[in-house]
Amino acid sequence: MRPDDRDLEDEIRSALEMSIQERIERGEDPESARRAALEEFGSIAAARDAMHRVWYSRWFDAILMFFQEVRIGLRSLLRTRGLAITVVVTLALGIGANAAIFSVVRSVLLRPLVNRDADRLLYIRQTARGIGTEDLTFSMPEIGDLESRVKSISAFGDFSTVDFTLIAFGREPRVVTAGVVNGSYFEVMGLRPALGRLINSSDDGPNAAPVAVLTHRFWTTALHSDPAVVGKVIRLGPGNATVVGVLEPSVPYPAETEIIANVVTSPHHLGATMQKERWHRMTELFGRLAPGATLEGARAELKAVHASMVHAHPESYSPGARVGLDVKTLRDQLASPARTILLLLLAAAAVVFVIACSNVANLILGRSVRRESELAVRAALGASRGALRRTLLAESLVLCVAGAALGLLLARPLVAVAARYAARFSVRALEARVDGSVLWLGAGLAVAAAVLLAYVPRLPSFDQSSAPNPAAGGIRITPGTNRRLRIFATTQIACSFLLLVGAGMLVATLNAMSTANTGYDMRQVLAVDVPPPASGAGGEAADKFFQEATRRIGALPGVDGVASGMVVPWRDPFSAILKFQFGFEGYQPANGEENPACMFRPVSPRFFAVLGVPIVAGRDFTDHDRPDAEPVAIVSQSVAQRLFPKGEAVDRHLWLDSRTGLEPQPRRIVGVVADADDENVVQVPTMTVYFPWRQLGEPSRLFVRAASDPYALVPAVTRILHDISADQAVERPATLEDVRTQVLTPQRLNAFVFSAFGGIALLIAVVGVAGVLAFSVGARTREFGIRLAVGCEPRQLRARVLGEGAAIAAAGILVGGLGGIALAWVASRLFGVAQMPGVLPIAGAAVLLAAAAILASLLPAVRASRVDVLQALRSE
Amino acid sequence: MTKTPDDPRLELLQGTLDMLVLRTLQWGPRHGHGIGQAIRRQSEELLRVETGSLYPALHRLVKRGWLKSEWGVSETNQRAKFYRLTPAGRAQLIREQDRWSQLVRAIGRIMNPAPVNEE
Repeated sequence: MRPDDRDLEDEIRSALEMSIQERIERGEDPESARRAALEEFGSIAAARDAMHRVWYSRWFDAILMFFQEVRIGLRSLLRTRGLAITVVVTLALGIGANAAIFSVVRSVLLRPLVNRDADRLLYIRQTARGIGTEDLTFSMPEIGDLESRVKSISAFGDFSTVDFTLIAFGREPRVVTAGVVNGSYFEVMGLRPALGRLINSSDDGPNAAPVAVLTHRFWTTALHSDPAVVGKVIRLGPGNATVVGVLEPSVPYPAETEIIANVVTSPHHLGATMQKERWHRMTELFGRLAPGATLEGARAELKAVHASMVHAHPESYSPGARVGLDVKTLRDQLASPARTILLLLLAAAAVVFVIACSNVANLILGRSVRRESELAVRAALGASRGALRRTLLAESLVLCVAGAALGLLLARPLVAVAARYAARFSVRALEARVDGSVLWLGAGLAVAAAVLLAYVPRLPSFDQSSAPNPAAGGIRITPGTNRRLRIFATTQIACSFLLLVGAGMLVATLNAMSTANTGYDMRQVLAVDVPPPASGAGGEAADKFFQEATRRIGALPGVDGVASGMVVPWRDPFSAILKFQFGFEGYQPANGEENPACMFRPVSPRFFAVLGVPIVAGRDFTDHDRPDAEPVAIVSQSVAQRLFPKGEAVDRHLWLDSRTGLEPQPRRIVGVVADADDENVVQVPTMTVYFPWRQLGEPSRLFVRAASDPYALVPAVTRILHDISADQAVERPATLEDVRTQVLTPQRLNAFVFSAFGGIALLIAVVGVAGVLAFSVGARTREFGIRLAVGCEPRQLRARVLGEGAAIAAAGILVGGLGGIALAWVASRLFGVAQMPGVLPIAGAAVLLAAAAILASLLPAVRASRVDVLQALRSE
Repeated sequence: MTKTPDDPRLELLQGTLDMLVLRTLQWGPRHGHGIGQAIRRQSEELLRVETGSLYPALHRLVKRGWLKSEWGVSETNQRAKFYRLTPAGRAQLIREQDRWSQLVRAIGRIMNPAPVNEE
């Protein structure tokens, strides 16, 4: 129960009254009694303060006083609502963007993995720099070699994916990508079950019972965390498997799957190709460091063992491919692709924050100049420099805290966007959440901004001779203030310029990609995934299925053609794997060179007609190209031009390189088609070899050419396919145009994010320039009045103000350009990459900024030329 | 209010004032003015307590829990804040009294040494 100041004063007053009363009773006259009592008491204020100090510490008082300042600040800001809102929104954008990006950076680069002893968990992969790949998976014989000889790795875990048709949990049959792992995989990864058990060494081998583990995401989203799921039997591909457990939430790496099963569930994994063939690489490899082993030691040993393995099997590793091995911690593997882009984003967010701060500084500076007389009055009344600063700090703190609060509210949706965006570089971004540390970051940014802003305005000079006359009440602008305003405006323009150039670069790239000629007819072709049926039927059955489907769908009204193949352009991630080395008749690789690698695409007759790829020479495949007929092939124009430069490709022969282990016999080239790159979104000349799938390969994709709206055909197509085979999954129907749009989403997002940053920056900068000029014009009313009075044309005044705006813009662009060059240099030193923007983005950004700056100075310029001469001259 | 270690007077004075205040309240509650008058009267006008230190001292003692204060009406029908000893304050008074008599004895021995009987 602390007494408040009123209580203390009451006590003093009552004491005084008693003392006076006593004196009067003793016979003194009231007036002298009062004086004597007061004299005896001493300083009332001192007594009160001393009593007050017993109860309240200095800190308490300081904080209380500060709150009072904040209250005053709040009230004075409410009077200038427009300014306050501008400042708060500007800061919110700056702080929100930073908080969101920081959350993602934190979750990707800084947060530890859930995996036990994650720093001893290694990701191992092969490289084949000779054929331009940094990321090659392993085959089982290779893993066997490493496993048997490497001592510094206590255990290896392997992971591969296989597409299974899943029939379970009372849902439609559908194709899922399942992980297939060995018994030590989860032990190596250091993961625990959330429910039941994980796959362990008892599940290894061809005689184990088929079991599966569900991923946490699948279990929580699709199965609503049903605890009864353990023990259920599901239909997985050709056989049944028992669900034994649910995996704890963890990074979905190397692949996002719903189900992870043991080897016995996949006939392919038990087959001879998987077990015996050294070239059959489809397995990701992880290792756990043995106790006492170091990363460097393990890397050296793995490399040595790998090198001797390569040496021992010359038939499988051609010297030209330069097959090697690389080891990283899983943590680094997950973070490394995201590092550059995230740091770039963080830099962009920081630049926006700088722009926001400098703009806010401008606004505050302008405001404080207008209040200079108020501050001068307070200084004259005895307020110390510290007290004035405190007032300013309280105000800027109110603004910045409000900005930060709004920014953190913005951060939540922004994090969601940024996480989805960054997830393309690192799956860990999916874990990003707004959490406590971001609140701290926001608070830190707000306080930093507040302190900065409080020190921007100049205090009224305490030197009497130059102190502004409080009575004048007009706006005075000192050269120093003016210079500061201009510096801030220039900073904004410079930073905006950088962001705009970056955004321009990305937009230009995106534009080039989306308008590029793909070689396909994009609008009218519907692509449908028709994965191999659940029965596992291949060969004859698949042949029949597709013949029947082609015939019946082709008979539908509105269908111009039906074809089948294995790859939907851009959508199928394995398109890159379907690339083999071919030998060509009459082509001799130069010494040490390899046979050229070409895309390998089994297709049906009419594939080219349906997809709109022109046949340049020869003929299309026909229904007569049956398994028992002559082996034939069609090549793309790039193949024809490079390997048969004299234009004689048709009727020559090609064959699969013997190392692929597929088929040895030569095939006659019956046709040449235009290049169509179904792998890269940026089209490059592509060497492709097409086979009729009835001779080699198995189709899983259906293409329907529609006369009108392709999507209108989807129900009929699905019905026919289900009619032919009830268990058949029919998935992802989309036109090629939409497939491409979807595939370009990352680029679109990239361009969008940076354009958004650039747009925000531009907006803030325009407000900044307009503010500076408006302020400068307002402060120079008198000067303009005199100019007009001595015969200056209003036109000249307008030009003058516009010129000032243009000067700020020019200076900003120049500084930004120099800064950009410096940044590019630093980036090339740090990351070894520096892509210089083209002329167009630079020029575009410069023109945009200059135009915006001139536009922003238009209003102040008009105001300057409309100054009322008499009013202006009379004003002081 | 700051204590400097090389100024023993201040501490002594302050300690003594607290003790005197506790002592005057031994027989019942009084208001601040009354406490000042009581000290003055009982010391036969030798001690005059500055009001500037009396009132802060009262509040300090309240804060320590040795006194309790409440508003009441004085004998002259004036509103005044009255202070009274708490049980803890009573215990503190006894401690202070002990300490004081020890201090007086010790200082007395130094200032008026008893005749020394050496050899």
